[in-house]
Amino acid sequence: MATNRTYEVMYIAAPETADDDIGKLNSAVEKLIKKEGGNVVRTDDIGRRPLAYPIRKKSEGYYVLFEIEGSGQEIAELERRMRVNDMIMRYMTVRVDEERKTADKHRTKREDRLSRRNTARRGGNESETAMAEEAQINQ
Amino acid sequence: MEKKTKSSESVDEVKDIDLGDEQKIDRAPRRFQRRRQGQFVPDYVDWKDIDYLKRFIPERGKIMPRRISGISAKDQRRIARAIKRARAMALIPFVTD
Repeated sequence: MATNRTYEVMYIAAPETADDDIGKLNSAVEKLIKKEGGNVVRTDDIGRRPLAYPIRKKSEGYYVLFEIEGSGQEIAELERRMRVNDMIMRYMTVRVDEERKTADKHRTKREDRLSRRNTARRGGNESETAMAEEAQINQ
Repeated sequence: MEKKTKSSESVDEVKDIDLGDEQKIDRAPRRFQRRRQGQFVPDYVDWKDIDYLKRFIPERGKIMPRRISGISAKDQRRIARAIKRARAMALIPFVTD
């Protein structure tokens, strides 16, 4: 089973939720993920933000974003808990590792092409020559 | 003889209708904004980057069609997916009235 996946989990809590409760919620998420064998890479407390359309008749929401590494089991458990939590109006999980990997691949490919072109031409500005040197080392 | 004239009349009528249609088309030519050349789409399209995604969302809130945005099919799919994700999290409206 694949164990190293990266997910972005975002949830929107009701705007009237106390800051303490948000803090508790976030630490609970972290604890749960750790317990299930995952790892919270990043927690981004975006805060209160107007909603683009009303959810549960509210026009505002408290946004929190997590970046989680794990097998997917902890995500299943986390989603189960979020579904029953009344404070959480909405949540979403997006798997990002694969898209990031392809993005990285494209970027390195492009840089490679660029550096090769620069070694052929020689010269240019500092960053270009640096890249050209790098390419030479690689050869 | 009578029959012939009748048939020719009807042919004329049809022609008239055809002309009318043509005129209609002439009157309201489907003119789209020219393709925006050189739209840059990053390697990783972030669904949280609303400011970027807004470029592909005209007034009404719909996803800009490819014939107007002028980006590749692959990029269009990625942009569309990101927009849909952002909509689900109420970052971008589904409809704007």
